[in-house]
Amino acid sequence: MKAEIVIIGAGITGVSIAYNLAIQGVKDIVVVDKSFMTSGATGRCGAGVRQQWGTKGNCIMAKKSIEFFESATDTLEYDDDIEFKQEGYLILATTPEEDELFFENVRLQNSLGIPSRVCNKKEALKVVPYLRPESFTSATYCPTDGHLNPFKMTDAYFQKAKQLGVEFLFFETVESIEINNGKITSVTTEKRTIKTNKVVNAAGGYAHEVGLMVGIDIPVYSENHEILVTEPVDKMQGPMVMSFSKNIYCQQVPHGSFLIGRSNPEAKHDHDISSSWQFLDEMAKTVCDIMPKIGELRVIRQWGGSYNISPDRQPIISDVKSLPGFYIACGFSGHGFMFAPMSGVLITEIVLNKPTSLDASDYRLDRFEDKIVTEYEKSVV
Amino acid sequence: MGLFYESVLCYHVRSESGGIMRIEKHPILEFKQREKIYFTFDGKEVFGYAGDTIASALDALGVKVVSRSPIHDRARGFYCAIGNCGSCHMVVNGVPNVKTCITRLEPGMNVNTQKGKGQIR
Repeated sequence: MKAEIVIIGAGITGVSIAYNLAIQGVKDIVVVDKSFMTSGATGRCGAGVRQQWGTKGNCIMAKKSIEFFESATDTLEYDDDIEFKQEGYLILATTPEEDELFFENVRLQNSLGIPSRVCNKKEALKVVPYLRPESFTSATYCPTDGHLNPFKMTDAYFQKAKQLGVEFLFFETVESIEINNGKITSVTTEKRTIKTNKVVNAAGGYAHEVGLMVGIDIPVYSENHEILVTEPVDKMQGPMVMSFSKNIYCQQVPHGSFLIGRSNPEAKHDHDISSSWQFLDEMAKTVCDIMPKIGELRVIRQWGGSYNISPDRQPIISDVKSLPGFYIACGFSGHGFMFAPMSGVLITEIVLNKPTSLDASDYRLDRFEDKIVTEYEKSVV
Repeated sequence: MGLFYESVLCYHVRSESGGIMRIEKHPILEFKQREKIYFTFDGKEVFGYAGDTIASALDALGVKVVSRSPIHDRARGFYCAIGNCGSCHMVVNGVPNVKTCITRLEPGMNVNTQKGKGQIR
């Protein structure tokens, strides 16, 4: 088998890259995944999409990606519904430091055209009336943030990519990537060898391992983040409610269920995706503190998924100086889903040697080698 | 709610024996007379017996449709009876999504058929 380019990973990032390469006229694109589509972090994520970030790089990625989501159904000619609910994110500040940080963040966001605003308690309670007023000090709100269905969104890309001739190989594990004279020559899976000179590493939680196949030690690790879903109730919450200091995000999806997650500061750096009772315990306490009403709901299910975390918690979307033909889209630090439209566009532009549609220097792999990292994303759960 | 339910409910209200659905005589087992518990169902005063769950009382009253599917509005009956399936969710004393099959009947309870997925107040 021969391919112009092989993409490893059929999560939202890999499938978005495939679609973007295909609409630019690239032929013989092959996507390989060791399991089914969205089997990794994409299908396990909270699927919120927000523009309220603390670094310029993340803000711009998010803004442009949301612009894509707004018209994705038409652009991709998808005949199903991606369930885009654009009712904002309400981010709660609970400490004086956060009040100050959020004020700065909003100024940055506004300067980039993101319509976020600082809310006092009264204004925040207007957006979500059942917040416990004593549990926060102020908030920021951006009405154009939102939520969508990660399975449907990936499927929308997938259907269009397939139509454009992209080939997908599921349940096929990449075992090695062969290099000859500093050039990639092929990708070997458990079933076949694919001759190719170009490989994209979009392996999400396993991006580090795929990097090692070509001798590149990408500075990312994976860690388990747990999440739960409640029984459905009639619609009561528009925006995602989120707090970094309280360690929670909470969204009511169109079906009526609430998706609620947090990060575990003691999570090990590995591929564990198991569920723990400690998560339920901590999560319930936080929910009852901020939104006692939501605390009355029953939990239906819980699960875990891998965040692939980079040193500055901004993505790595880059080619590699030492190995031409190898491209990386990983290290999204829990936000690969919401950035996927732009990840696809940027990788495509890098592969085709075109000028990038936004300054991609913040996402280069060598930013870590050169120690030019100046920003660190604090706005992460 | 269909006519079937209406008629059975009326029949029950007229009956002093405790409704058509209860076993009163059995060749081996003995069923002792239990205390009546009055409650309200969809605005009507009805009764079950001590030891009933809400759903078992309603079943004995002939209520066969306990909820409706949220999208297609199809009738749902008393199904798993162990608190798993969610088929018997009703609004009890203003609280939605109460699993009536595992909730003990209490005097004066206000039980209402639930419309939609339930509103938390």
